[in-house]
Amino acid sequence: MLATRKERFVVGVVSRRGYHRRAPDPATPEVAQLLTRFAKHPPRPLTLSTLLSFGRPLTPDSVLSSVSYVQNEIPRRLAQRVRSIEALPFIVGTNPFVARVLDAHRKSFLLLSTYPQVKSLGENAEFTSQLESLVETHANDIPTMAKGFQECTRYMSPSQISNFLDGAIHNRIAVRLMAEQHIALSRGLNRPEETANRIGIVDMACSPASMVRMCGSWVSELCEATLGVAPKIIIDGHPDTTFAYIPVHMEYIITEILKNSFRATVEHHYKLYGSSSTRRLPPILVTISPSPRIQGLSHVALRIRDQGGGVSPSNMARIFSYAFTTAAPSDEPDESGGGPYAAQHIGGSAAVGTGGAGEGNLFEEMTGKGLQIGMGTIAGLGYGLPMSRLYAKYFGGSLSLFSLDGWGSDVFLKLRCLDEAGDVEI
Amino acid sequence: MSRTCPSCSTRLLSPTTAHKSRGVLMGLSGKRFKSTNTALHFYQNRQLELYAAKEANRLTLRQLVFFGRSMTEERLVKSANYVRTELPVRIAHRLRDLQALPFIVVTQEGVARVYELYWSAFEKFRSYPHIHNLEENEAFCSFLRNLLEEHAGVIPNLSLGLSLSSPYLPPDQLDSFMRRMLVSRISRRVLAEHHLSLSKGFMASSHSSFGSSSTTDSNTTSHSSHSNPTSNSPGGRASSVMPSESHVGIIDTGLDVLRSVEKCKRLLRGRPFWLEDFREEVPSGSGDRKEKGRRYIEGREWPEVIVDGHLDTRFPYIREHLEYIIFELLKNSMRATGSKHRDEDVLPPIRITIVAGTDQVGIRISDQGGGLTTSYITHPSDLFSFSHIRNAARLEKARLGALRSVSKSARGMKATVDEQVAALRPGEGLASGEEDVESEAGVAPHARIGIGLPMSNIFATYFGGSLELVSLDGWGTDAFVRLPKLGTNHEGIEV
Repeated sequence: MLATRKERFVVGVVSRRGYHRRAPDPATPEVAQLLTRFAKHPPRPLTLSTLLSFGRPLTPDSVLSSVSYVQNEIPRRLAQRVRSIEALPFIVGTNPFVARVLDAHRKSFLLLSTYPQVKSLGENAEFTSQLESLVETHANDIPTMAKGFQECTRYMSPSQISNFLDGAIHNRIAVRLMAEQHIALSRGLNRPEETANRIGIVDMACSPASMVRMCGSWVSELCEATLGVAPKIIIDGHPDTTFAYIPVHMEYIITEILKNSFRATVEHHYKLYGSSSTRRLPPILVTISPSPRIQGLSHVALRIRDQGGGVSPSNMARIFSYAFTTAAPSDEPDESGGGPYAAQHIGGSAAVGTGGAGEGNLFEEMTGKGLQIGMGTIAGLGYGLPMSRLYAKYFGGSLSLFSLDGWGSDVFLKLRCLDEAGDVEI
Repeated sequence: MSRTCPSCSTRLLSPTTAHKSRGVLMGLSGKRFKSTNTALHFYQNRQLELYAAKEANRLTLRQLVFFGRSMTEERLVKSANYVRTELPVRIAHRLRDLQALPFIVVTQEGVARVYELYWSAFEKFRSYPHIHNLEENEAFCSFLRNLLEEHAGVIPNLSLGLSLSSPYLPPDQLDSFMRRMLVSRISRRVLAEHHLSLSKGFMASSHSSFGSSSTTDSNTTSHSSHSNPTSNSPGGRASSVMPSESHVGIIDTGLDVLRSVEKCKRLLRGRPFWLEDFREEVPSGSGDRKEKGRRYIEGREWPEVIVDGHLDTRFPYIREHLEYIIFELLKNSMRATGSKHRDEDVLPPIRITIVAGTDQVGIRISDQGGGLTTSYITHPSDLFSFSHIRNAARLEKARLGALRSVSKSARGMKATVDEQVAALRPGEGLASGEEDVESEAGVAPHARIGIGLPMSNIFATYFGGSLELVSLDGWGTDAFVRLPKLGTNHEGIEV
């Protein structure tokens, strides 16, 4: 019962101006119909050999087959993704970050599902540039969702979040693979000199050692800028190894692992010897080893060994979990917290930009421009390890971490050679 | 010279004939074993069930240390009675476990032998009278020592029996059974040997017969060859002595990890270098010696071992357990490195890192031996399996043959480093007149009976630690050993 005049006034203002909570908009009828239609036909299994087939050999016809494939398959998978976000608890869906991602997906889906059939190379050029800008728009989906989920820990259990993210990221990798493969093939048709050893985004002669050096120098700059000093990387084993893989995946994984190692090394060193110590930092040791062919499959294995203090046994169970963060949202490093591998809270939009270059995005993910985006922070949202593992496992590889609590960690990365991955469904 | 059966006076044809009379089985050496095949055995199981119904007391390392620190006659007698009553309970659990296995498994050679041994031990403990004073404790200690000796053959016997039983038991069941058996065995030996050590220490200090009690008595196990048990002075307080010698029973409260590592390294590098080579001819002009599948290469050395990390790490633990694990892993690393780089004269080093964490001590052994993955092994943890379905290497003829001979030998196998080292020295430790397949006139090669890794795993996990093997296929293997530092974990036995 509203007693005072003041209270009645306030309520009046509120209801007149419509300052009441509204449920977010549903999909427009057009989109809803399309979604239903596409959801009826689940996507066909995607295999690597399918993707590679459009590039072997690379001809105008093969590019047109590729675009037709992409036009059929990507909308189906986007429909799946929209549905899965719509299936999240309502309150989670009202979170602005989650809502932003949902909206973006609906728009992309609409665009692609209604795009006219591409029949010529000219039309393909137009389509491909649209595809490229779409990929760009979605560049920060994962950090955005991550931010959203961080705010939703009250409403979803860690395992629910985990399951959702696993599915979402898996789907996302497939969509991007298809899109980027098509973009690369289209480009490759026009510039044959750039495609030696490549079939679209697959590099048949990927060098892990060069990749480590490249990522290493980038992470090193980031580390020096943020923490003042950076350790060196020593590569041993068989550095001349090359194998067939997707460079941008490998780059992502290695960058994440190196970021962890670098940060841990410096912070542990400071803890032991103080931040003004001139003592030399222990180097990061990367060992590259091609594995012998077992049962027809070959892998390349990398071991990244640091002296960053290791992970305590109590934290070991959590480092691959998406929800692993330090408790205190302050700048003080939490003593008992997760240590170097845990995430830290980053406020608001500093965490996620709108995808433009040079904005200092936290999570320069899997775009070709990833490396050129400016200095973010070296402390991510804590998604590095679980995401890297997903990427590694995507083609049948693996990523595991072994720790000597009090000394350092060994990360074992095993990647499967893609020229034989053939009929593995991805 | 013929013999007659004492029970039924039948003439026996030869001294070594086994003979069954009225439900009493005469063993090969004339000892009486209760027949385990008769109805009598079935209906007498009640006694066993009574004991098996009791729960075992799982101890922590800290409790073992704490109890042993201030020793008095009263406490020693208490300890003796504790051992006397606790061990039959644990043995009873194992017996029930054995009884639950498929019939065809327990009647298998090896397993049957172990079953009979356990029964005999159970009966003896059950009927052992209460101990009241030091004198009775002395007798009890003798009894314990004999029993430990008698059971020395259990590991290879069991291992052999189970390897042969692999077709009848799913790998998981076999592994968990074997694990329970071995963990329990370790736990009983820890209790028994701890008590023996405490007794010895107490007796030594109370008689003021100080000095090195390094015993060459093969009936006690190796640890008592450390010099003076200093912590058991008559006054009852632990004397403050050099940290490296502060033993309480079989526990070294200041176990120096680096020292153990150096010891294993020294022992292993001190062996003449050999490669596994099953070809018949020696490459001409190489001057190499060939013996039983090994090619001894003159002038080549085992790989160097470089140790780093927290080199001054010390923690309370049982030295034999730690050393067994390190020895096994280092031995495997060396062999793999030698084999992988068989055409090189200087082998890449093995790196060991010792780390003192908050509640764990970590040891990482990194080699360049080419890694673990072969067509046998799909996952490194398969190497810990006793089942040949998981670990096909176990059924290699050479391995089975070796198991058979070790299980027959009087030495048996106690799983200690000193035992392994003894196997390396010529002619040592062999009962005279015994035919031992792998004994040689020269250096006796230590046969690969294939239980090193499973045993290391059991030792590591006994007080709640862990052992993990990770392979960088094509390059090498990393072994991670983690042992609890605080001594507060309970023994990993089943209750």
